[in-house]
Formats: sequence, C-alpha cells, structure tokens
Amino acid sequence: MIAELLFGTFFGLLLLGIHRKVIARIQRRPGPPVWQEILHMLKFSFKTTWVPATASAALFVGVVLVAIGIWTAALAVVLSGGSLLIVFAVYMLHKIVEHGFGLSSGSPYGKFGGVRSVISAASEIPLFVSVAGIALFTRSLIISDIVAYQEVHGPLLLTVPLAGLAMYLVLLSKMPFGPFSIVESKELVSGYKTEHFGVWRAGLEVCNGLKTYVLLTTFLLVFVGTMPFLFLLVGMLVLVVSLSFVCALCPMLSPYDSVTVQTIIAGLMLAYVSILVVVS
Amino acid sequence: MNEIGGIPLFYLEFGDIVAYFSPFTLALFLLALVFSVFVIVSRPERQIDIAFGADAFFAKDISLAELRFRRFMAIACGLACMGAMVTGDVFDFTLFVSLVGICNVGIVAAVKNHHVQDAAYQYGLVALAGTVPLFSAAAIVVTTTGSLSMLELASPGAPAVPLIARALLVLGVMGEGMAPFYAAKAEMFRAPGAPYVIMCSLSSLLIFLRVTEVVLLL
Repeated sequence: MIAELLFGTFFGLLLLGIHRKVIARIQRRPGPPVWQEILHMLKFSFKTTWVPATASAALFVGVVLVAIGIWTAALAVVLSGGSLLIVFAVYMLHKIVEHGFGLSSGSPYGKFGGVRSVISAASEIPLFVSVAGIALFTRSLIISDIVAYQEVHGPLLLTVPLAGLAMYLVLLSKMPFGPFSIVESKELVSGYKTEHFGVWRAGLEVCNGLKTYVLLTTFLLVFVGTMPFLFLLVGMLVLVVSLSFVCALCPMLSPYDSVTVQTIIAGLMLAYVSILVVVS
Repeated sequence: MNEIGGIPLFYLEFGDIVAYFSPFTLALFLLALVFSVFVIVSRPERQIDIAFGADAFFAKDISLAELRFRRFMAIACGLACMGAMVTGDVFDFTLFVSLVGICNVGIVAAVKNHHVQDAAYQYGLVALAGTVPLFSAAAIVVTTTGSLSMLELASPGAPAVPLIARALLVLGVMGEGMAPFYAAKAEMFRAPGAPYVIMCSLSSLLIFLRVTEVVLLL
C-alpha cells in the first residue's frame, strides 16, 4: 500500500505538471517543466513552516491531515475494489477540506476561497447522476462488481455516455486553471491555500497529487473497465491532456457565471437521470 | 443493492434498533467524530477584514459567551451527525437529521451580526418546513411496509418502499441539511468561528451522502 501511495502521489503530481505544460504550449508559452509540481511539493517540505497568529491552530493543521487521510482512504478503496459511494463521498468531503483551509487562517483571501468552494456546491450534483446511471445498469456500486459487469457487457462509457460526461465534468471542475477553478482565482492570491505554507502546503500538494490519481483511476475503472496497468497510465495521460485542452481554451468564469453554468449542467443531468429511471 | 456501502463490518444493537457499521457508514462516522474533536480542541480564528475608506484592517473577535454556545451547538451537531451516519432505523435517521438542522441554526444564530442572524432566521424557516416531508417519509414507510428497519427493508422479499417516501426523505434532508439553501447564504459560512461553521457544511454533506445510501438501500 505504501508503494502504491507513493506512486499515486508522484504520478498524480506529474500529471498536474503535464496539465500545466499542455496549457502553456496551447497558449504559446514555454511553460514550466512537467515535474514542476513534484518540485513544488519537495520545496515546500523543507521551507519554514508557521501557523498564522490569527489562525484557529488545531483546525489549520488538522485539515491538512484530514485532506491526506481521506484521499489515502479513497486510494485504498479503489485498489481494493470497494464501494464507489465511498470514493464519491471523499470527493464531496474535499469541499469541506477546501472550506477548512480557507476559513481556518483568518485571512480574507483564504476566506473568499473557502466561500467560493461552498457556493460551487452544484458541481457535485453530476456526481449523483453518474452514481444513479451506474447503479441502474450494474445494480451495484462496488467497483469490482462494476468492472466485472463491463467485462461481460462492454464499457459503461458506451452504455451510459452521459453519465460518463457527468463524471468528466466533475473531473473538470476539480482541475486547476479550468473554467470552474474560482476557488484558486488569482484575484484571491492562491484562494483557500493562500496562508498554508511550508510543510502544510507540501501536505496539500500531496493531497492534490493523490486526488488527481484517484479520480482519474476511478473514471477509467468505472467507465472503461479493467486494463493492463500501463494502459491505465496511458488512459490517465489522455484524459489529462483532453482536460488541459478544455482548460486552455475556456476562460475562467466569474463566480456568478461559474455557479450558473454548473447549476444548468446539474439540471440537465438530473433530467437525464430521470429519463433513465423512467425508461428502465 | 444490499451492500452498496460495502459489506457491514459489525452491528450494534439497542433493543430492536440496530446501528450498522459498513465501510461507508464507518468512514462517515469517523469524519463526523474527527471534526467534533476539532470543535472541542480548536479555538476560533480571528478573521481579518479590510476597513473600507481607510488604509487599515481589523480583526474580529468572538466573545467567550458566544464561543461557548456555538461550541456546544457544534458538538451537539457532531453527535447528531454520528447518529445519523450509522443508524439502521428510518425514524431514528429522520430524528437525527432534524436535530442536525436545529443545531445548524443554533451555530449561526448566535453570531452578533444582523446579516448572519437574518440568514439564520430564513434557514430556520426552511429547516422547519423540511421536517414535514422528512417525518412524512418515515410515516409512509411504516404504514406501507410495517417496518422502519433499513436492514429488514433492504432484505430480499421485503415490501417495496414507495418512490414518494424516498423522494420526501431526500426533500426533507435537503431542507434540514441546508443544501442547496446553505450554498445560497454566504452570510452563514463566512461568519467568524471556522471550527463551528465547518460543522454546518460538514453535517450538511454527511447527511446528504447518507440519504443517498438510504434511498438506494430501501
């Protein structure tokens, strides 16, 4: 498990680095090296660490541990073929982590990052559409059962493509520099993570790497099915590059527009799943 | 679909009421527990705000009386949340969820700011209205199936739970757990006192996640 945890963290960070590089190249900038996010994590691990005088100290530190803890648990669930509901629960609880990061410092920049995270709650609704779409066809939410179902009936991406699209939008809403990345917008400095420096920030980077790895693995396992490990990594790379294209070509929306667009998407997705329920 | 949250690890029986710990409910229970501990051991942050019209800033402090009341409410909210995460009884679930709603109103209503109190009042009305579909759902379940036990209702051959009962349960949780009303009330979650405010959003998410499992289970 330790080996998988380390690999997941570093590969996830590498994917985030590739994400930045692809965006830069599309925008005709040289961009940072692809291992920049790994360097960030290592750099922050050895920088001076402090807790701001205005912070709620226990929460300020504790939320970093919670962030790493929940994504480690999600990785364990994915690797053991456990319940998809737990992975989605972790995804939703990541919002609490962002809220905690932002509010615990007392900084106005962090606070607004946290507030924006909460007002983006509509971005989670497509997740329920994915869950409902998968449950209707596979009659199970256990990842190993879903993978087994696809071995017999083919990839779910072909059976319920809009559920796959819903999950893709969920991935998009969590990618940095995307149209919905209002929690880290530059007018808020670094948004909810502005005041977390040193080891705390390194912990957040670890969490981001793990999160990316877990979410992409889940998408491929749940909508494409089982595959050799090397193909899984290539699949993750392809997904990240496609997300990078969307992020590079779409401007970051204003908070109001971001919430409006996410709400419209959520409404359409709910209508889709209602039709699926009636038809089935 | 009986094991959507994973195979139950153990059951805790209180007479005919059974709490069950599956990987899913246990994970949610532990999160509620961890954040309850944060509420107990944390002191609130001092929010920094810009003073408009001057080159200055000021820090907001929370009085001791307000701190004590909000901490008490947040701990009660955490306990109610833990109960809602593991209970295997539909009526108990609705009770715990309504308690979460009351505590959430209490956490924010203690803030001495008229914008926050106005938001808390409006949320209180929503939470109050949310109890109607919530308890209606439990009533429909017991009258149509003769049982309130989730484990019994999920077993093969059990009477089917009407779709309207499940819909009312979700509607009730939306009212009590603030979502989506919570997200529309920025005054509530930008109030000072991060450990307590976070308990509002955490409890909202947790009961929403649990009701997803309950609805799929029934």
